[in-house]
Amino acid sequence: MAETVQKKLQGEIDKYTQMQKEVSKNMSVRQKLETQLTENNIVKTELDLLDSSNTIFKLIGPVLVKQDLDEAKANVAKRLEYINGEIQRYESLLKDMEKKSEQQREVLTSLQQEFQKAQGLAVSS
Amino acid sequence: MAEEGNVSAEQLGGLLKLRHEHEKVVKDCESRIQHWIKVSDDYDALKDRLRTLPDQLCYDVMVPFGRLAFMPGKLVHTNEVMVLLGDNWFAKCSTKQAQKIVDHRMKHVKNEMEDLSKTRKNFQARVGFAKDLETMSDRKGHYVEIREEVGDDGFTVTKGKQRIAHKLNSKPKLDSVLDLKDENEEEVKGEKEEAGGKKSVLTEEELWTRLDELEKLEELQDEQDRLSDNADMNGEDTTTSSSEEEREADAPPINGISLKPSWSSAARSTAPLSGKIQEEEEEDEDEEDHGLPTIFFSHTVEPKKVRINTGKNTTLKFSERKEQKEHSKRKKKNGHNNGHSHHELHNKITTPADVYRLFVDVKNGELVPRKSILKSRSRENSVCSDTSESSTADFDERRIIGRSFSHDEANHSDTSDGIAEEDSPVSVPLQTHSRFEAFSGTVIEKDPMHLSVPHLTISPPTLPTILERKQEEVVPDVVAPPPPAPKRVSKFKAARLQQK
Repeated sequence: MAETVQKKLQGEIDKYTQMQKEVSKNMSVRQKLETQLTENNIVKTELDLLDSSNTIFKLIGPVLVKQDLDEAKANVAKRLEYINGEIQRYESLLKDMEKKSEQQREVLTSLQQEFQKAQGLAVSS
Repeated sequence: MAEEGNVSAEQLGGLLKLRHEHEKVVKDCESRIQHWIKVSDDYDALKDRLRTLPDQLCYDVMVPFGRLAFMPGKLVHTNEVMVLLGDNWFAKCSTKQAQKIVDHRMKHVKNEMEDLSKTRKNFQARVGFAKDLETMSDRKGHYVEIREEVGDDGFTVTKGKQRIAHKLNSKPKLDSVLDLKDENEEEVKGEKEEAGGKKSVLTEEELWTRLDELEKLEELQDEQDRLSDNADMNGEDTTTSSSEEEREADAPPINGISLKPSWSSAARSTAPLSGKIQEEEEEDEDEEDHGLPTIFFSHTVEPKKVRINTGKNTTLKFSERKEQKEHSKRKKKNGHNNGHSHHELHNKITTPADVYRLFVDVKNGELVPRKSILKSRSRENSVCSDTSESSTADFDERRIIGRSFSHDEANHSDTSDGIAEEDSPVSVPLQTHSRFEAFSGTVIEKDPMHLSVPHLTISPPTLPTILERKQEEVVPDVVAPPPPAPKRVSKFKAARLQQK
């Protein structure tokens, strides 16, 4: 009795740890996206400050490629939108993951209680 | 003692952990601040370099080759700099432009540093708190935790009474009396909320008794006011213009008080000051008492709806409902009993309007709810003006009739007379109410401009008819009044213009 409960408990614990890992992964991805967001915001402001007299380059691999100012602005804007979308997607994912982990936690606690009871019974018997 | 020791040990352990965590955060903040300081130093150095770079056309430099070798070379195009904007974007700029960019980044860095220093301060304070808590829990230090146990037994009975005191619609005096009786310093509100439900039944009965008491008081004050008002009235009859001016002057400030404007000018002249003072007193009372009705100001879009009305229909209901809703909302916040408040509003006189609602029917002899107080038969008993549409016809009538007489002055004086003599029992209760509770707690501010004209037209309207009759009966002395001063427009005219 106690053993079965213990096994169950182990299984649930594993699931829970996995979920926690996924949650943390999501978090890290989201943080990266946020830094990219701020960076792109800075780039956007800088580009707005520049005028057409300055040539703009983009580093693609080891190559600096000349770009047009308007093109660059458009590119940055698009990238910003993309990043925002990604952030929202990851946020929703994160919420779901958190909910699931909460449920898992509840299951774990209930199982733990069972386990303790079973242990108590085993000890008494 | 062992348990206490265990508890304190756990607390100590927890506190220690807390302190350590706080300290960790503080350290982290400090390290980040150091980082940002470095960055800002770098940017400063860069700025200097950019400034001096264009001084020469070209520089002789040793160019690094790989890790270990250098080669002599020349630095040319000293004014052209490639700036990394972020995210693999580069821009070719002059050194001046690059300096501007550097300034931008410095701003950003400074902001970050400020935020970090703030958080560091916060957490250091928290660390201090945790330390204090530790010493307190140890009971070794000279800090003593003051704890007072709250006894429940002594409160339930008294709390019930206090609960009444804090009901929004209950009389303030009653409240103050009750509060004086039951002085409770700890968490009065919370306990009132608990005991509020129990007292709903009792408060009704108490309200009825209170009503009776108030009626008696009102009668007493009636007589007093009569004496004072009569003296004032006589003066006002002769100085109608002054009364008008008083009225007009009082109107805007009084307009804020929805229940006041329609009262007699005499009452106005004396009452507004006293009323305001009473309101202030009430305000003070309200503020003193914890959950007492507070005066809330709300703006009405349609003054018509807010206007004091008569009888059971028309606009007051609107405002009443609003007030009721507001009262109920506030009561909920204060944890009061809502149902009781509603009931109270219907049975209890809390506002002058309620008086009309309750008393008018009795005095009229008509049990049918009157549509408007502007009706001649109803005017005797009501001072209040009515903005209901049924009264507009009456308006026209009165305007026509009133024109034949002295327009404004007569009306003003008449209103004061009518009110003083006939409506004293009605007006006085309003005044007395003002003493206890100037108003239900909602001060509905109306746009003074909007009301100024209607006020001129509406407030007197009820009275002219009475006055007309009186004048007809007594002496048509003031038949040919001097034409209204160009500045002053007769109220009827103004109403007419407005309606046009």
